[in-house]
Amino acid sequence: MTATFDNLSAGDVIDGPKLAVSRESIRLFCDASLDYNPLHLDDDYMKGSFGKTNFGGIIMHGMNNFGLISRMLTDWAYPAGAIHRRLETRWVKPVRPGDTIQPSGIIKAKQTSEKSRWVLIDVVVKNQAGEKVATGEALVEFPRDLFCQ
Amino acid sequence: MAEAQTFETDFWKDANLRKVWDDIVPGEPRKTIPYTLTKEAIELYCKSVGEDHPIYFDEAYATTTRYGGLIAPPSIHILLMFSCTPADDWMRSPGTVNAGQSWSYNIPARPNDVITLQARALDKFIKRERLFVVHDNVFFNQRGEVICSGRGWTIRPM
Repeated sequence: MTATFDNLSAGDVIDGPKLAVSRESIRLFCDASLDYNPLHLDDDYMKGSFGKTNFGGIIMHGMNNFGLISRMLTDWAYPAGAIHRRLETRWVKPVRPGDTIQPSGIIKAKQTSEKSRWVLIDVVVKNQAGEKVATGEALVEFPRDLFCQ
Repeated sequence: MAEAQTFETDFWKDANLRKVWDDIVPGEPRKTIPYTLTKEAIELYCKSVGEDHPIYFDEAYATTTRYGGLIAPPSIHILLMFSCTPADDWMRSPGTVNAGQSWSYNIPARPNDVITLQARALDKFIKRERLFVVHDNVFFNQRGEVICSGRGWTIRPM
């Protein structure tokens, strides 16, 4: 059922897309984002220790997580005529080639302002072991002049 | 895609020209460069995160929506962060680790938009022996409209 502001309740769950992370998917994200930090490409570099952040091997871009969460939110919001307005995330655990990650959202609250309607969503991304790799919070607007597609 | 073709992908090149944590001055603007966002760049970004909504690809469909034409997904700012900054920007220091991000979306970016960025370091601090910098970014289109704005926390290489 397509979400509408009225039929949403706290606790409702949004399922996001799975992403199987590989060296190829990481490389593709480098090309698409222009972020060629060796952190994501160079195993030898990642054997070193720098800044107290030694991951022992290449890791996926944190912003790849962010893009995946954003995709989950827009795919959920667009059919409802709603708009993805904000996303805040914190990276909890590195994601490596071979991992499969999946974002999900839980409706936390609905709020009406003078001119619009808003939904606050708790976001989490977990890996195949069920471990949290990212957490966050999103805001989606349901304008009063809904224009559903 | 002239910008993408000239983009320096070797982040070690000119690494000595980039500011280290000690050099970064909170409040000081970063050097930025205008970037023309192409349909091809949007499509490549969409492919990398599995975006398949027709509003990013199908012109005929997109004209029927509230946006009246093709748009880029909100998280396209991920591409714009690097495309709008020069090769000696400190965000390209090898070993820079992303600790968190917060973004607000105002209006979508569209194909052929000429995007400009106003960016600065906002804060720097040390926590659990790690060197943090907070950076602040606002992206504009060619009409001076704010596309999105955001703040990020990075851990700087020692």
